[in-house]
Amino acid sequence: MGTPKPFFLWRHLNKLRWLSLSIVFAMLVALPFMHVYQTFTAAHAYDLLAPAEKQLYDVMETLTGVFTEDPAEDLDAIKGNTWSGSFFGLQLSDPLAIAGQMAAGLKLYAPFLLTALIPVLFTLLLGRFFCGWICPATLLYELNTNVSTWLSRLGFKVGNRHFDRRLKYAVLGVGLLLSAATGSVLMAAIYPPAIVGRELYYAIALGGFGAGTLFFVGTLLFDTLVARRGFCRYVCPGGALYSLLGRYRLVRIRRIAESCNDCAKCNAVCEFGLDPLRDHFGQECNNCTACIAVCPTQAMTFVLRPTDIPEQGPGHLGKQYLRAHSEKGSIDAAP
Amino acid sequence: MQRRSALQRLIRGAALLAAASLPYGMARLTTPEARAQIRSPGRNNERNHIRPPGALKDDAAFVAACIGCGLCGEVCPPRCIRFHSRDGGEKVNTPWINPEEKGCTLCNKCMVACPTEALVETPLNEIDMGIAQIDRAACYPWVDRGICGACVSVCPLGERAIGFEMWNQYRPVIKDGCVGCGLCVEVCPEPSLPIWIVDRAQGTVVKHKV
Repeated sequence: MGTPKPFFLWRHLNKLRWLSLSIVFAMLVALPFMHVYQTFTAAHAYDLLAPAEKQLYDVMETLTGVFTEDPAEDLDAIKGNTWSGSFFGLQLSDPLAIAGQMAAGLKLYAPFLLTALIPVLFTLLLGRFFCGWICPATLLYELNTNVSTWLSRLGFKVGNRHFDRRLKYAVLGVGLLLSAATGSVLMAAIYPPAIVGRELYYAIALGGFGAGTLFFVGTLLFDTLVARRGFCRYVCPGGALYSLLGRYRLVRIRRIAESCNDCAKCNAVCEFGLDPLRDHFGQECNNCTACIAVCPTQAMTFVLRPTDIPEQGPGHLGKQYLRAHSEKGSIDAAP
Repeated sequence: MQRRSALQRLIRGAALLAAASLPYGMARLTTPEARAQIRSPGRNNERNHIRPPGALKDDAAFVAACIGCGLCGEVCPPRCIRFHSRDGGEKVNTPWINPEEKGCTLCNKCMVACPTEALVETPLNEIDMGIAQIDRAACYPWVDRGICGACVSVCPLGERAIGFEMWNQYRPVIKDGCVGCGLCVEVCPEPSLPIWIVDRAQGTVVKHKV
């Protein structure tokens, strides 16, 4: 009876999302350290290590000793990053890596294709969830958004421009064409999650950041000075591919017009600049659930259907709706 | 009127495409071309610049197949695999080994880890990373300035890859079984740097031009 209420846990999913992002990022930092520790154990030369290396060895031994018999072998269970990695024998790759590699080599390699199967299936079901829940760059970008907000409160001018959202599909297309032309997976050099995972490895295990860091800092500056979350919204080729794959995702967020009061907090909080207030989620919603968490009247919930529900007009608790309906002479007219 | 709007749309499309190629240009700017690529665009023939074991023979095919995930480096026990991180142009983020710093121990892990066909699992005998080449004018035993044999004793393949010359049991000679792992280059104690890894076609002995 009455208006449907969202399941009470949905509004806490955003915290779970931050936890998931933090865990992925923490793993990307920990894995290179584990690898360095593995190289030390493989060399069987503790006495020859420098003092700092001995310290690292001892710390890692304490941390991983509980879980491993033979660190040189057992720590191979989790390797790699979100671009491509192995997780307890299961090899997973980013669909963009497959697309880029296919374009660069102009041929298919079945074992590699299969590594993207699980991510693609999840994307078909959940849409662009990778962008909100796993991407290690998202953590940094969202923190950067917060910093930008603080900066704007302090009086700095933070960029809030808007561009054509279709630009990222063009970036994806141009990237595939350029990959085919040059015979090199060029997307890897501009795709933030790949950059973050790789550069963390370079910095920790190989002793120095690569060129990708420069590019990534550039995107952070772009987000701060030009457009909020601009890279993900307008440029990211991976986001474009995930959006296309998740166009008819089954799990999506919907607004319950009956309990919406048109406060527009959802639009303000949406990192991708979508319009939840008027039911325009589209293919680019990443199910990050920030709008569910921020909604003061619990008017956001999940729904299982392959398309967005059509626009429902103003929220029934909002002034616009009440004014329109009080004129018709309803019983509880607003004063 | 219609022609004008069509023209406008065309210009807008061109601007969109130009904007879309901008990030690639910026990423490309940060990675200057590797020197070796200028010298020979196809096959890499620079000394001591070898691809990990099991890499596709054709370097262009290798670069096309590699997605730059870094998994090969992340499983490498001696941590010999390094990456073109700040150079290499199109080859950026592809793995390579500098045997002067660390040689490959032929442990197979990188070939198993590689998700693509860039590194394919290859039996030990068929690995071809190159071949060791000795400069007989710089190697101390070869110019009778001492006895050594470090390269021979470290070689993981032993007899079939490296041995001593028949008449002087200190002068190293590379044989056809060498797969170019570069451990000999890593251990060679002589400051004259008499040994390095080259493409197999270049032979095992330096030909000095006088």
